[in-house]
Amino acid sequence: MTTYVEIHALQNLPPSNVNRDDSGTPKTATYGGVTRSRVSSQSWKKAIREDFNRDLDPKEVGTRSRQLVAEIAKVIGTERPDLEDHAETLAVSAMEAAGFKKPVPQKRGKAQVGTPETGYLVFMSQRQIEALARAAIEASAETDPLRAMRLAKVKDLVDADHSIDIALFGRMVADSTDLNVDAACQVSHALSVHEAVPEYDFYTAVDDAKSRDTEVEDSGAGMMGTVGFVSSTLYRYAAVNVDQLRVNLGHEDAVAKAIGAFLSSFIKAMPTGKQNSFASATRPTAVLVTVASGQPTNLVGAFEEPVRAKGGYMRPAVAALAKHAEEAFEAWRTPDLALAQGLRSEIEPLADVAEPVSLDDLITRTVAKALESV
Amino acid sequence: MSVLTLRLAGPLQSWGSSSRFTRRATETMPTKSGIIGLLAAAQGRRRSDEIEDLLHLELAVRTEQQGVLLRDFHTAHHLVKGTSMPLTDRFYWSDAVFTAHIGGPRPVLEGLGEALRDPAYPLYLGRRSCVPEGRMVLAIEDHPVAESVRSLGWQAGHSARRKARRHKQGSVRLVVQADQSVYDDGDTMVEAAPTRELNDVPLSFDPERRLYRSRLVVETIVTVPTGVEVDAVDAPAAHDPMAVLGGAS
Repeated sequence: MTTYVEIHALQNLPPSNVNRDDSGTPKTATYGGVTRSRVSSQSWKKAIREDFNRDLDPKEVGTRSRQLVAEIAKVIGTERPDLEDHAETLAVSAMEAAGFKKPVPQKRGKAQVGTPETGYLVFMSQRQIEALARAAIEASAETDPLRAMRLAKVKDLVDADHSIDIALFGRMVADSTDLNVDAACQVSHALSVHEAVPEYDFYTAVDDAKSRDTEVEDSGAGMMGTVGFVSSTLYRYAAVNVDQLRVNLGHEDAVAKAIGAFLSSFIKAMPTGKQNSFASATRPTAVLVTVASGQPTNLVGAFEEPVRAKGGYMRPAVAALAKHAEEAFEAWRTPDLALAQGLRSEIEPLADVAEPVSLDDLITRTVAKALESV
Repeated sequence: MSVLTLRLAGPLQSWGSSSRFTRRATETMPTKSGIIGLLAAAQGRRRSDEIEDLLHLELAVRTEQQGVLLRDFHTAHHLVKGTSMPLTDRFYWSDAVFTAHIGGPRPVLEGLGEALRDPAYPLYLGRRSCVPEGRMVLAIEDHPVAESVRSLGWQAGHSARRKARRHKQGSVRLVVQADQSVYDDGDTMVEAAPTRELNDVPLSFDPERRLYRSRLVVETIVTVPTGVEVDAVDAPAAHDPMAVLGGAS
């Protein structure tokens, strides 16, 4: 049984254009026979990822040590026992190529003993240690491994993100497919629960100098144009594969931090498209989080029949989501944990399927439940 | 020979087979590589694991509802340096519903059904952001794939059904795309000549060594009842060219 943490959100967006296509129009999709407004998966995932990286201190999830040469040499020796004798030298070259000052063996008294160390504490994630080891192995065949590694831009391997970020959001490197990491999270395209057709705002821009100039009699605008916008109530969905995170990260508190930070960022983050023009940063009105072993259930089917406005779209949308969730849990599997969070009066219909909690409780209890699974 | 039927529905889905570089197109119907990838992911196979046994399964896909073609303008920036990656256009089917009819021995199909209900890796319809909606595993029946594509009820969504009611359509004609072997057992009702070659049989999903080979597919059309009541008066008058000679026998 694989454990999935799923988060569903209903979020209002005022007239805005947070995600546009190459013609400047807000993105759309067809669903249930009508046009819906859409915020692409990649757009919201980027916003979440940036918020996630701001929140999480990379130093909390890696190795901080002077003895990374020994760590790298260990990996080299395990992967290629035939290189074990040269592992230390290769590891030193790898660290040099990565831009660190050449590690030297630690001196004790007059003798030079022990493995080379960097003169200061260096922070590196397990992935980066392994990546350097692999680069060293590849370069070992060359006559000048240090030069080969410098040419191979080994520096980029340690410049990049820390392991939690990659384990959750993945990495794709076209040149070295062995560095690819499959994301543990899956974010779907956000769709409006109702029919939404983009509109256009006709704007003019005044030329300040011209308008101040009393001699020139020209009251025309300096520039005219249109900017596309749409307002919508969006259904958003994401799922995190806890077991895969565990495999990628290796230790429990990294997994806990990853899930907690992901939930928090999913709720807080907003793509930055046209934010200065429309100031459309909102938070979800209603959030439903489930922890279930097996059977991830996307609830977008609740809105295949577009919601019709009845005192706005949000109320009928929450009701539709609650009803659909209830029937889906009944038809397939009741989750191990279902929590609802958001504006108190608005999330009432969800009380039938989930327990209303505060944001802090939402995160702590979800993380605790997710980690319970073996 | 048994058949496992799957319902592939969701707001967006994309089934690529031949795209290069920055234009990622989709075929009109789910591809074998996409379906096999889905099954392998459900079973927990890593990309570098063997998938040869899944290639022995027969596949036919039926379009319940084609939907609308969507072009997504997709940009990407280097996370650290901030430089822009080449701009891409990625195509999807929005509001589409397909069914996949997978033929094989019953125990294998039962295992696959179980795996799909409890997938080891998250499932998606062609691209990771295309999360499936609703029920995926429909049934396992003990008849050939050719029979399954004819007899499975129409799986379209609400808006397509409403349209059929409005137009008083008692039946719909749905496109089926199947492996040649699906029609090889002497089924005389269908012309088994292949109509297209698709390069979508996955030999390996290993990122360092992705490999596909081509297969020939047979495209046919099946007529499936919609469940809409149609009076004889409303039904379009059938044209019988033999009437002048005394009617068809």
